[in-house]
Amino acid sequence: MEEQAIIDLPTYEQLKELMGSDFIVELVDTYINETGTLIAEISQAYKDGQAVSMGRIAHSIKSSSASLGALVFSQQARELEMMGKANDLAGAEQKIEKLTAEFSLVTQRLKELVNES
Amino acid sequence: MSPNVLPGRLLVVDDNKVNRLLLGRGLEQQGHRVAFAENGRQALEMLQQGEFDLMLLDIQMPEMDGYQVLEKVASDLKLRDIPVIVTSALEELDSVVRCIEMGAEDYLIKPIKPVLLKARIGAGLEKKRLRDQQRDLIRRFATAEVAQDMEKSGFALGGHFVEASAMFSDIRGFTTLAESQSPADTIELLNTYYTLMFEAISSQGGVVNQMIGDGLMAIFGAPLPLINHGEQAVLAALEMIEMIDLFNLDQAASHHPTIKIGIGIASGQVIAGYTVGDTVNLAARLEAHTKVAGQMILIDESTRQTLNPTIQVESLGPTLMKGKNQEVTIYAVPIRQQA
Repeated sequence: MEEQAIIDLPTYEQLKELMGSDFIVELVDTYINETGTLIAEISQAYKDGQAVSMGRIAHSIKSSSASLGALVFSQQARELEMMGKANDLAGAEQKIEKLTAEFSLVTQRLKELVNES
Repeated sequence: MSPNVLPGRLLVVDDNKVNRLLLGRGLEQQGHRVAFAENGRQALEMLQQGEFDLMLLDIQMPEMDGYQVLEKVASDLKLRDIPVIVTSALEELDSVVRCIEMGAEDYLIKPIKPVLLKARIGAGLEKKRLRDQQRDLIRRFATAEVAQDMEKSGFALGGHFVEASAMFSDIRGFTTLAESQSPADTIELLNTYYTLMFEAISSQGGVVNQMIGDGLMAIFGAPLPLINHGEQAVLAALEMIEMIDLFNLDQAASHHPTIKIGIGIASGQVIAGYTVGDTVNLAARLEAHTKVAGQMILIDESTRQTLNPTIQVESLGPTLMKGKNQEVTIYAVPIRQQA
């Protein structure tokens, strides 16, 4: 299988075109801050054994990430969402680690994209 | 923005700030005014305080989720008419179905495509505008008792079947008419026409529940029962024709075009508050058939049976109408001649 891009360019470019470049700068900034907070909340929910809460936060990450084209990251969040819904925390720790690592890549790539324009 | 969508006051409810920003930007670009809420509780507070034409609602949120918001909105007289569009992920379609059953108007799948956003918002705002108009007209024409009852029932009575008569009416050759005069004259004409038709319909206990361009649909016997709904619908139709005749005299005197209308009436079971079902469908077919039959008022057998013998009708025999695969016995109601 072909490796998927960290940020799906067509999605990102289309969004930029629709919303305007200035707006994208603000949006990316907000996204990075908000998602950082949400990831911290996911870890906390996991530590507290709050599966449902973890699922809900993962759901939130999933939807905004898909909008910006962070499709791999969005898919990882979706897996955690499903686990939360099933009230299953087994293996969640590794998934959260993977999610955190992918988020660093997403952040870096988005910053590059914003600086390019 | 598209010239046919009027700007609206919209409330966007989503716990994710990025989603709020994205939706807000898209909507502002389409000319709307947008306010934001981060969860259901905040949304309800804002709905109570401000005037909104439409709400875009996320389902999964902390504090109070989309379902809870829909429940509160449905039970609140003041908020019930605000159309709600649910925003959700593709895999949440089950939740969307539940939301629609709870009263949501429509849904959008995230990430939201701008074209769809525009279309759905346009349709939602149009519904709100019609409801406001309807409410206003009901205040003006219905008795206080009826108006209050309708406000309570919210124009929809939980989908149960009632015996009633459905009426469709429209202006013959409206397109040609609209082309022959200025838009301002057409709007003026439609305003007068609607005022006259509402008066005739409500004076016989009917309720107009839909207006599309030059056409309207009215129900006799719902939401409040009417014993002789069929006869009252026919009497209203006769009165409508008389009012049009008087209106035409005025129009001719001021050298404006005159109009002709066609009316179809069918009686039977209708689902209260909804504009669907066999009876409603038959009434629409009868109205369309007035052109073919060269008659102004056509009714079905069930309506004829409710009529007082003093009202003359003329049987046109079993007739095959467009869109129906079985013949139906239909009757024309001759127009009363002016004394």
